[in-house]
Amino acid sequence: MKNRLKVLRAERDWSQADLANRLEVSRQSVNAIETGKFDPSLPLAFKLARLFGLPIEQIFSDES
Amino acid sequence: MICSIKSPAARRLTIRVWGAVLFSVLFTVVAAMAIRFGHFTGVLAYLVAALPALPIIGVIVAFGVFLREEKDEFQRNLLVQCLLGGIGGTLAVTTVWGNLEAFVHAPHLPLMWIYPIFWLFVGLSTPVVLLRYK
Repeated sequence: MKNRLKVLRAERDWSQADLANRLEVSRQSVNAIETGKFDPSLPLAFKLARLFGLPIEQIFSDES
Repeated sequence: MICSIKSPAARRLTIRVWGAVLFSVLFTVVAAMAIRFGHFTGVLAYLVAALPALPIIGVIVAFGVFLREEKDEFQRNLLVQCLLGGIGGTLAVTTVWGNLEAFVHAPHLPLMWIYPIFWLFVGLSTPVVLLRYK
C-alpha cells in the first residue's frame, strides 16, 4: 500500500523517531510503514490520520 | 533479544525469560539429585523428572504474554514471523528425522532436543526476517 507519510513528516520537519514517539511505536515500525513494507492496522491508520489531521485516504492509497 | 525489540514489554519479557532460565537450572539440579539420591518411584518419580520442564513451559507462556502486552503491532508481527520460522524449521527437521528413524534406522532423536531445535530455528529466522524490513 502506498502512503504519503514521508512527505507529511517532512512538511512538519519530523524525523522518523519524532513520528514514532507521537504514535508510541518504534522507529522501525514507522520506517516499515513509510517504505510500504508493512501495512498498519486500522487503529494505527486512524491514529496517523488524527495526528496529521487528514482523512486516511489522503495518507494511504491502495495502488500497488 | 529476539528480533531486537526494545520496549517496556520486551524488558519484562527479558526478565521473565532470565528468571525461567535460572529456575530451569535450579530445577534440573534438584531433579537430578532427587532422582539419584531420593530413589523415587511411580508417579512421584514422574513429577520430579518433569520438574525442569516447568520453567521451559514458562518461557513459552512469557512469549505469549509478551505478544499480548507489546503495543507496537509491527514488533509483534516481527516476533510472530520469527516464531513461525522456529515452528516451521522444527517441524521440517523432526519430520525428516522421523522418516530417517523409521526407514533407515537413524539414531533416535530424544524429544527433549525439540525445544532447543525450535529456538535454534527462531534464532536463524531472526536475521532473515529483519533483513526483509531493512
